[in-house]
Amino acid sequence: MFNLELNKVIEEIKKQKPKQVLIQLPDGLKQKANIIVDTIEEKTSAKTFILFGSCYGACDPPYGLDVIKIDLMIQWGHNRFHKETW
Amino acid sequence: MVRLFFVETLYEKEIYLTDKLKKYLKENKPKTIALFAAIQFIKLEKLKKEIENLDIIIKTTKAKRTGVEMQILGCDNYHDSFKEPIIEDCDMILYVGDGLFHPKALLLSQIKNKKIKSVVLFDPISNEIKELTKKDIENQIKKTKANIRKFLNSDKIGILVTIKPGQQYFEAAKTLKEKIEKQNKKSYIFIDNTLDLRNLENYPFIECWVNTACPRIGTDDITTINQPMINMREAFDPIKALEDLEN
Repeated sequence: MFNLELNKVIEEIKKQKPKQVLIQLPDGLKQKANIIVDTIEEKTSAKTFILFGSCYGACDPPYGLDVIKIDLMIQWGHNRFHKETW
Repeated sequence: MVRLFFVETLYEKEIYLTDKLKKYLKENKPKTIALFAAIQFIKLEKLKKEIENLDIIIKTTKAKRTGVEMQILGCDNYHDSFKEPIIEDCDMILYVGDGLFHPKALLLSQIKNKKIKSVVLFDPISNEIKELTKKDIENQIKKTKANIRKFLNSDKIGILVTIKPGQQYFEAAKTLKEKIEKQNKKSYIFIDNTLDLRNLENYPFIECWVNTACPRIGTDDITTINQPMINMREAFDPIKALEDLEN
């Protein structure tokens, strides 16, 4: 029902050439995580992992992903947002 | 630095004026509609045209934190969250999407208005139409007022900071701490990744909490916790916030 745009995702991965990718999905799409990982790993050489927990919005990528050397995080269901300045 | 890439995950079917929505609009006769949508349902050209054919003017605006015009996020929940005041200038607020989190922001943004307009929800998947009304946030308004009063009368304040980059306001938290302590009160800053509010009970010495992360924690989650909590925005100017609510 919702377009996962896997072609666009694959294209982006091929362009950016990350070694390690993390995918972040809203709860309603978490059941598709295996399909997304399988597709990315079949079509690119990026190792792909799934964020286990929350995906509240574009404001919600977790901190510290560089420690485990994630090069690219892909989040579904949201678009770029503008953080308020204080 | 980790790079980020977003997939909007658009609804695949065309969104149009269903008979049910048409009937609803004819019954309620709005002259102007403020139109908003969740990002998945942002392709509304057909629906807009069909509504305009009923001689209804559609107004759209860009909310501050969103990526595109017409989109609404849960955190754009203040009266100044929008580029143009279309919520005040319309007869009907129409939200296209599923769920309640995003459209509730449209109600919360009116909190200081004398009259809080209902938000009409149109779900293109189920073709359901629902209304969110002032009643749906009455409890939150009441709690917010009580919590601000509690904040003003508290001597030990806890400030919550998340390290999630999109919601991290550590510097603002430190500024707030200084401001609070100038009034001869004590404040402590607590840091975590996801703010699990069950941990609040471990700090019984805190009399009132300030949330600096997602503003919906200070508007929605306050109804499910026992401890008083307000958002950073209210904490910086509690008197003004209270005046706005008591209008």
